Amino acid sequence: MTRLITKLGLAAGLALVTATGGVAQELPKNLRVVIGSTSTGGDTYQAASFVADAMSKHFGINAKVDAVGPTEAFKAIARDTRGTTIMIHHDQSYLGHLYGVKGYEDIFATYKIGPTLTVNPGNAYLVPKKSPYNSMSDILEAAAKGTRIRVAIQPGGVSEIGFSALKNAAKIKSPGSEANIVPVNTGSQADKDQLLFDGQADVINGSVQSNEQYTRLPEDDQKAMRFIWLTAAHETLEQVNEKGLGETSREALMEYATPKASVTLDGKTDFTFDKDFFILYNKEIDPAIIAAVDAGLKEIYAEGAIGTSMKDAFFVPHFLPSTEAAAYLEKKRDDYKKVIEAIRQ
Amino acid sequence: MDFLSMITPLFLVLIFSGTVIGIIFGAVPGMTATMAVAVCLPLTYSLGLENGLALLLGLYVGGISGGLVPAILLNIPGTPSSIATTFDGYPMTQRGEGESALKIAIFASLFGGLFSLIVLYLFAPALADFAIQFSYVEKFLIIFLALTVMAALSSSMLIGIFSGVLGILVSLIGAYDVSVGGNGEYRLMFGFMEPYLSGGFSLLPVLIGVFGLSSILIEAAGGVPENEGAAKIALGHGKKFRLSIFRGEWSNLFRSASIGTFIGLLPGVGGSAASIMSYSQAKTFSKTPKEFGKGHPTGIVASEASNNGLTGGALVPLLSLGIPGDSTTAILIGAFTLQGIQVGPLFISGNLEIWNSMIVAMLFANIFMFAIMYFAIRHIAKIVTVPKYILLPIILMMCVVGSYTINYGIMFDVWTLLIFGLFGYLAYLIGLEIAPFIIGFILGPSAEIYFVKSLESFGTVSIFFTKSWIAGVLWLLIAASIGLSIWMSMAAGRHNDET
Repeated sequence: MTRLITKLGLAAGLALVTATGGVAQELPKNLRVVIGSTSTGGDTYQAASFVADAMSKHFGINAKVDAVGPTEAFKAIARDTRGTTIMIHHDQSYLGHLYGVKGYEDIFATYKIGPTLTVNPGNAYLVPKKSPYNSMSDILEAAAKGTRIRVAIQPGGVSEIGFSALKNAAKIKSPGSEANIVPVNTGSQADKDQLLFDGQADVINGSVQSNEQYTRLPEDDQKAMRFIWLTAAHETLEQVNEKGLGETSREALMEYATPKASVTLDGKTDFTFDKDFFILYNKEIDPAIIAAVDAGLKEIYAEGAIGTSMKDAFFVPHFLPSTEAAAYLEKKRDDYKKVIEAIRQ
Repeated sequence: MDFLSMITPLFLVLIFSGTVIGIIFGAVPGMTATMAVAVCLPLTYSLGLENGLALLLGLYVGGISGGLVPAILLNIPGTPSSIATTFDGYPMTQRGEGESALKIAIFASLFGGLFSLIVLYLFAPALADFAIQFSYVEKFLIIFLALTVMAALSSSMLIGIFSGVLGILVSLIGAYDVSVGGNGEYRLMFGFMEPYLSGGFSLLPVLIGVFGLSSILIEAAGGVPENEGAAKIALGHGKKFRLSIFRGEWSNLFRSASIGTFIGLLPGVGGSAASIMSYSQAKTFSKTPKEFGKGHPTGIVASEASNNGLTGGALVPLLSLGIPGDSTTAILIGAFTLQGIQVGPLFISGNLEIWNSMIVAMLFANIFMFAIMYFAIRHIAKIVTVPKYILLPIILMMCVVGSYTINYGIMFDVWTLLIFGLFGYLAYLIGLEIAPFIIGFILGPSAEIYFVKSLESFGTVSIFFTKSWIAGVLWLLIAASIGLSIWMSMAAGRHNDET
């Protein structure tokens, strides 16, 4: 009898432990997905919506995207150890720290890196349609000859990394010429476009999504622009929907990316930048939740529907589970750190 | 006329529902049209683009319009763009003409909304080309013009300017944000404040604090009578509403709706600047400028025609350039993005069906807004008959909840409300002017950005005078506005000497 009671007790204990483990592996019924952007019209909201929608259906939960911006998003995940709030952001989250922007900490030390989700291959640089510069080589040569090239960017992140790479390439090609490539610090895409319309910038940072229609305007239109550089890697662009975006096909877009448009990283290879979107968690989050999200997303991506939706919207699906994602993003961070430090010297 | 086929019962129901919900969001202090559109944005996934836009545009028009209700009845602007409506709306309510003030505001709102819709439909691409002629320099001058109203709004010009400059100073607390091209450095604060004030004080809690909470404190300090009858503001004791009020207002209506539409065209200037500027211009061109601020219907007409004029104007850069004209259309662009539709200079020509459905949705939204508000006024206006010992705690609770939710649950926003409520009360005691303070607070950050960026781009102060003919016209309007303030101040001084 004592044995029976002991066995029953052990079984009950085991059941309790298993049950507790089971609860921990389940995601909260209501999941708040905060994003590092206040815009609902931008790529971060779009990427987060794809993932939140798919997670809602797959896990049977209610996932809601809140466009709160980077400062509030970091604060929100920092105070939530239960996993009811997760953050979706992109490379800005570590680039901001590399550029020393206040409010950006080292994400690899402060938060838990979650899986990567998708890539926006649309980060672009544009010139007016009447610009004398027809390629990145033209720009680097002009800088080498002493011409001042004004590049409109939003400082401290994704918009600036291409600019830093351009300065680095100028320094490698003709040391000292990097001083002729100067930033025009501004804010939104509208501000950057306006600087081009006003003739106050020679080159602007933009995106395929925001600026493609402007490239179709006739040359005598004050608003007409053309792409001069897409920072995405060749392999990434190869995965883009064949029809491209708007009336610009993938093939046409590849004319503006490496290897045809070259901005050297080190004299041998070209600089590339793919804008990766990924999840960030509170540092103390239950590992079971991370494992559950990894496993769920693996199944979601394997089903293929999310990949099709992403490709239709000019994204490239890019799922890496948390551990691989952390290693991948840390390497990316280290590579860009070298570029930023090279032009600071 | 293919687009007429899309006017289905569902399409109309969505516009109607959007307008009703929008009015409620606009009327509750702390909730805005932007918030209403943001909350309902994910619904566009399931509704499809045309139906989704019908709902969102209803929310937009309703949200902008709903702000006039608390502005007139409670002296609390429901949305930042209805701030100028309080200047004359609330004094009319205090005279027992709240219902009349609401009707004036609703007619003006309808006119502004329809005017801007016609402009949007007929001239969108051409106006977008005109809008891009406005660089940082011209945008700074527009903000400067709106700021000149500070002096004219006060009983004393010097106190008005001081209060306004104080508002600008407070608005600059926090980081010079990198997202607008700043250097990210913190100003006017200590290091320990970083976790709370890195982004500065949020606008809506400040607005609700200085208008709403301070009014409650002032009322409470004066003693709130328990006798129900004594607490009522008699309805209908003042002048009744008649359409003849608008007889001399046509030029004001057209000018204000044009200003609202025009300001909407310019990304980053905002609805508050539109209503303040229209109010200022109405005062400049009025034969009775001294009546402004004391319950003058012209002031309400100017503010409301202008902020509803903004709705069509702000859609021009969105649909012709892919650039949102104000904070609400910045959310609206998400509906297109989520459906994979590109908005840019070729949007209208490539998406005629969507374009036409938006125009129809806006038209119905304005009509529904007018019908709902006009016929509900009699009931809405009764809010002022609720005894204050019941009404004030309810308003206080709404202020706190609104402040907490405006940025998705930030407790510091509630502290901001309390801090600025106390500030508003102290300002009342020592004679500072609240309206110029809040105008300075709203317009300060834009003024800073456009001023600094103008200098960074052009490298000389003289550019503000030489950039373009538009700058010249704006300087003339600035001179007229300042001249009027000085004249009024001198006239008031003479009047005081005589008495």
